[in-house]
Amino acid sequence: MDPLAAIRETFFQECEEQLAELESGLLAMEAGDADSETINAVFRAVHSIKGGAGAFSLEALVRFAHVFETSLDEMRSGRLASSDGVVKTLLRAADVLADHVRAAHDGSSIDEAHTAELAEELKALGPEGGDTSESEEDWGDFSFQPLSAAAPAAPATAGWRVRFKPRADLYAKANEAALLLRELGRLGETEVALDDSGLPDLADLDPEAAYLAWTVTLTGDADETAVREVFEFVDGDCELEVEPIVADGGSAGAPADLGEPEIPTTEPDGNLDIGVLLARVQAAAAPQAPPEVPSGAPAPAAAATLAEPSPQDGQGPSRKPEAGATIRVDLERVDRLIDLVGELVINQAMLSQRVMEAGFARASGVAMGLDELEQLTREIQDSVMAIRAQPVKSVFQRMPRLVREVAAMTGKPVRLVTEGEGTEVDKTVIERLADPLTHMIRNAIDHGLESPEKREAAGKPAEGVVRLTAAHRSGRIVIEVADDGGGINRERVKSIAAERGLIAADAALSDEEIDNLIFMPGFSTASTVSDISGRGVGMDVVKRSIQALGGRIAIASRPGKGSTFTMSLPLTLAVLDGMVVSVQGQTLVAPITAIVETLLPKAGDVHSLGGHARVIAIRDSYTPLIDVGMALGYRTTPLDATQGVALLIEGEGGARAALLVDAIQGQRQVVIKSLEANYRQVPGVAAATILGDGRVALILDIDTIVAVSRGADSLRAEKRLAATG
Amino acid sequence: MTDLSQTPGATSLILAESLDMTAASPLKAQLLAARGSALSLDASAVRRLGGQCLQVLLAARAAWTADGGDWRIATASEEFADAVRLMGCPDLVADALTPSDFAPLQD
Repeated sequence: MDPLAAIRETFFQECEEQLAELESGLLAMEAGDADSETINAVFRAVHSIKGGAGAFSLEALVRFAHVFETSLDEMRSGRLASSDGVVKTLLRAADVLADHVRAAHDGSSIDEAHTAELAEELKALGPEGGDTSESEEDWGDFSFQPLSAAAPAAPATAGWRVRFKPRADLYAKANEAALLLRELGRLGETEVALDDSGLPDLADLDPEAAYLAWTVTLTGDADETAVREVFEFVDGDCELEVEPIVADGGSAGAPADLGEPEIPTTEPDGNLDIGVLLARVQAAAAPQAPPEVPSGAPAPAAAATLAEPSPQDGQGPSRKPEAGATIRVDLERVDRLIDLVGELVINQAMLSQRVMEAGFARASGVAMGLDELEQLTREIQDSVMAIRAQPVKSVFQRMPRLVREVAAMTGKPVRLVTEGEGTEVDKTVIERLADPLTHMIRNAIDHGLESPEKREAAGKPAEGVVRLTAAHRSGRIVIEVADDGGGINRERVKSIAAERGLIAADAALSDEEIDNLIFMPGFSTASTVSDISGRGVGMDVVKRSIQALGGRIAIASRPGKGSTFTMSLPLTLAVLDGMVVSVQGQTLVAPITAIVETLLPKAGDVHSLGGHARVIAIRDSYTPLIDVGMALGYRTTPLDATQGVALLIEGEGGARAALLVDAIQGQRQVVIKSLEANYRQVPGVAAATILGDGRVALILDIDTIVAVSRGADSLRAEKRLAATG
Repeated sequence: MTDLSQTPGATSLILAESLDMTAASPLKAQLLAARGSALSLDASAVRRLGGQCLQVLLAARAAWTADGGDWRIATASEEFADAVRLMGCPDLVADALTPSDFAPLQD
């Protein structure tokens, strides 16, 4: 959807909310509850619709809303009593206003005569009988003035109210309130109110204590994260309250005004810039954009479905976007729901199994009912997962500030380029990404990038580039942190590893293996512990946190060109579409996203390369054939290829391999149960699941199995890492 | 440049360049010592103003006001004026002359 259309759509959604508000207010008034709060709410609703309509040049709507608003203003100022008759007129006017909104939305026609009649009735209510010239003027305001804070609609935040009270520790740690206030000022327009009510007498004052507090009214499009980030380094050393200012009248005013529901009628102070509004509306609309997801990825695929207009939409004038577009839900409740759905899936699988064991025919009513149940279970699961899917933007947007700070500390000019912020992934994954990403970006700047002088000497621009990208790839999210620095100094890495006793001094290692040494516990290349990356947290911790998320991390480095860290993570930590296979009497699950095809190997297609290494000819190419039973140590003699089934899989880097298993049992959605959390990490195994019959099955980590069978060295390295980790 | 902060019978204090945490205690002592007479502060050399020195200044102003005495910041550097505005008490420098005020005066 183009940005303007998206904003327009948002406006109409908000209109529906305002209309609902208007109606409930008027109904309350009709029931005799005509207090100023209700009248203000009603006025605000009409005023907001008028303001938004002005921005979209919806002239007829603005005109009627203006007349309506004028009557309400009379009532607000107490010049018009809310008698029964008046409220009835207002209610009918609300209907006409709703018609106008609908007409503006879908282009349907409106009853001009009825509108005119109501407008006259409304004008007759006011003592001055409505003033059209003022209407013109007012209309002009909305067309050319920046949209007022009152205009965009109640649910959008117009900014934040930040109450901040430093503790003595904040000052003791050499932080300054002024700096924090200045930093806040960078996020938008601020109004600072000082609260010195806690200040004692001069004689009793402890010069090193903290007595002052500030309330900052921040208007602008900064999000809460950005606001909180300002206080990131004084966390715990101050009292901090951040609350949104709802975009209604008076929000941009001084804090003293906040208690009063007074609405500026035409030109409120602290107008919002239309650009700011645009950005905000776009941001608000962003999660609705269908994320780029491969089919078969459970969570975001569902998100995409949700984002598409439902078939009932677009059926003409009757369509009505739901009021209350978003609700806030406690994350714990969502997690509880997800857990329950996970149990439901397992239970459903068990039930299926029982039914099959009981010998019901496939076409029997019970079996068919179960199929439907399965379908429903899956839909529930997808929908629940979609609730948790969020764009990685929330983590990515914390990084520019980090980059600025690290750049300042190291004296290296750095530019951060981010891509794919809209890529969606499970909230838990997002939350747990922040730390490893922070560390990797620090590392990229501190260790990855060379000094500006060195860069210039190497013919590169003095400014280094750190690239942070996210994308969906084969049912996983792949996040890359790349720098254009000098690449890994392999000689140095190797000598340090030898020095620390991580490898034998004469070990012959490939470049890749050397690069991977930096992930080993106890490895840190900085000979002096620097402020920036040397915080006793090595890349091994990064690797472990990624692994704990069921992810993998890989490094690619080219001397003089830079290094790229690639993290591949599951989109959700909860479910997986799996191919259930058996290997040497064990039941295993292979993630279906990795499987390209399955085939029965013919004797003539399998060729031995000496040792246990085999390749299989698939169409016109040879692909390594990996015996899963051998790779996981279930057997010592390889299985005769013709006795098994080969799963052609595509790994992380696009490399293909064929996994040889004994038999395929079927395809099933499985609920992932972490092996790390319940046991420990096992190379070659990503997680476990509970099957329908109650048995535990291991879920294969395809990439590790492929890597393992490629070189015995890397297998040993993996095992060593796992053992030490 | 004439000393515009000079008021007959008043104590005049020149504030230190850095009013950070370490300056809060000496500042309080200086101010307490001056209590009882009209006080005119010269903040034209101040480059940094921290929250704790601001507390001392605000408490001092309150004390002088309670005593019915005259207390004011007569001159302020741009940095000082900026800092108090930033910290939400622009009234502290409402009467103060800042460098930008001096230019036209000297003309």
